[in-house]
Amino acid sequence: MARGPWTVTGPWAPSQSAESIRRRYISSALVLAAFLLPLFVLTILVGEPDKYFHQAHGFVTQWVANKGGPDWIGSAILIAVPCMVVLTLIQVLPIFLVWWEMKIAAHIQVRLGPMRVGRFHGVLQTIADGIKLLLKEDLVPAGADRWVHFVAPIVAVAPALVCFAPIPLGHAGLAPVGLDVGLLFVLGVSGLSVIGLLMAGWGSNNKYSMLGGLRAAAQVVSYEIPRVISLLPVVMWAGSLQLGEIMMKQSGAWAGFLPKWFIFYPIVGQISFIIYLISSIAETNRTPFDIAEAESELTSGFHTEYSGMKWAMFFMAEYAYMFLACALGAVLFLGGGNPLHSSLGFIPSYVWFFGKTFFLAFLFIWIRWTYPRLRVDRLMEFCWKFLLPWSLANVAVAGFLFLLRMR
Amino acid sequence: MIESAVFGLLSAMILVPAILAVTLKNIFHCALWLVVSLTGVGGMFALLGADFLFVSQILVYAGGITVLLLFVVLLSGSPKDWVVKQVNAQWGWGLILTGIFVGLLAALFRKLPAAPVPNPSEPTTARLGLLLIRDWVFPFEAISLVLLAALIGAVHFSKRDKTSC
Repeated sequence: MARGPWTVTGPWAPSQSAESIRRRYISSALVLAAFLLPLFVLTILVGEPDKYFHQAHGFVTQWVANKGGPDWIGSAILIAVPCMVVLTLIQVLPIFLVWWEMKIAAHIQVRLGPMRVGRFHGVLQTIADGIKLLLKEDLVPAGADRWVHFVAPIVAVAPALVCFAPIPLGHAGLAPVGLDVGLLFVLGVSGLSVIGLLMAGWGSNNKYSMLGGLRAAAQVVSYEIPRVISLLPVVMWAGSLQLGEIMMKQSGAWAGFLPKWFIFYPIVGQISFIIYLISSIAETNRTPFDIAEAESELTSGFHTEYSGMKWAMFFMAEYAYMFLACALGAVLFLGGGNPLHSSLGFIPSYVWFFGKTFFLAFLFIWIRWTYPRLRVDRLMEFCWKFLLPWSLANVAVAGFLFLLRMR
Repeated sequence: MIESAVFGLLSAMILVPAILAVTLKNIFHCALWLVVSLTGVGGMFALLGADFLFVSQILVYAGGITVLLLFVVLLSGSPKDWVVKQVNAQWGWGLILTGIFVGLLAALFRKLPAAPVPNPSEPTTARLGLLLIRDWVFPFEAISLVLLAALIGAVHFSKRDKTSC
């Protein structure tokens, strides 16, 4: 009998024969391929989606004007539809990211991870988890501050959703809002989530939650500084804070093959990217910087006392921030929606953007499952005594190179 | 019409939490209401078209300073603070004087000509940067020197005293 990744032995051995499971595995894989391949071909044939959106918008505005309706409907559509698309995207993405993380973690640890739900490599595992979380009891500790405990997950997750407003999901026209201070907006609003973590830590009336909240606040506030300073060279070279414009500055190539992405700028780009990557991982409270929710020390930190959908909202905030950090990294360092080479320009820009973002997400997950957790004091030392001086030196080097280019 | 509605909402978002922040007894709740109030101020900047000020307000006040404030409350606050009265015997006089001051301010604003309404769609960051770094670079650097002195002072005072331990 053929043994493969679908063979499960022991007390969990399925009642069906291995042969029938194997057949179901292969048929599900074929169904997935039959669904995904035409989708990919369709994205290339359709191209950039925004021209269709603008056509439809023009048509609707014309139609409303002909019927004598109010003229604000057109602008309302122009704002509401991209916002709804981005909101839906951000709320659905964790479903995929969690499954991906489970699979990558399993394969790094030489296991298989989820294999049963959805037949093919557990593709429906996170949907089953979500249904489970929806049905779970919502527990509030007796000594908790009810309102603070209730509002904390909302405060943690809401800024994560707002942050995606100025990010161009492809070429510059695919940003829901072309905010002139886009980069600062993302950095500023993402800092608001810490208040949610502190509220969860304080409102739960639990010493582990409190310690987790304190650690989270100390860590996020500290790592925010090298993170912002590491992005300064990008702003200096691009000469703008608008994310779409920063992305446009990275189009084209040096010597015909090396794309002008910021990560390929000599010295400055690489140092910036590494500092940004490290401090972004720390910002999202992921291993090796997960002292805020260290499971073996603090049970799980600030969300110890949460269950069901409230817990799921903290989880969603974490994954939304991870995706935000990856998207920002893709826009600032990997050229966003710019193709790798101009001959690959037939692939739509949003495919490039999501490809780069998921590559960075893979990097995040890889680091999480490779390195052990840092101790609290070493974590702070690493931030203040290593990352901060190097990020400041990097700004100086960037200024020097800038002067050299101007002469 | 929409603008005045947003203005009213933002004013309520600034004033009501501000009053709660000084009257509530639980100091953690006070700090949280302060966050809401400061975010409302940021919204007011956004309404007036000052996009850079809006983002700095969120970044510095709502995201930075109040987080430090909450941090201090978590480290030093205790439930016995919640029974302390928030006002002393002179709160009535304080209220009357504040009322007179607000009345005078309102009278003054009636006399002043209406401020020019800036174009909200015009970005301000580049102009602000030129003003700060080119036209007013000396006052800007002087202020940064003051902040640097405060930073060094904070480091000096928080350094562990070698003689006592």
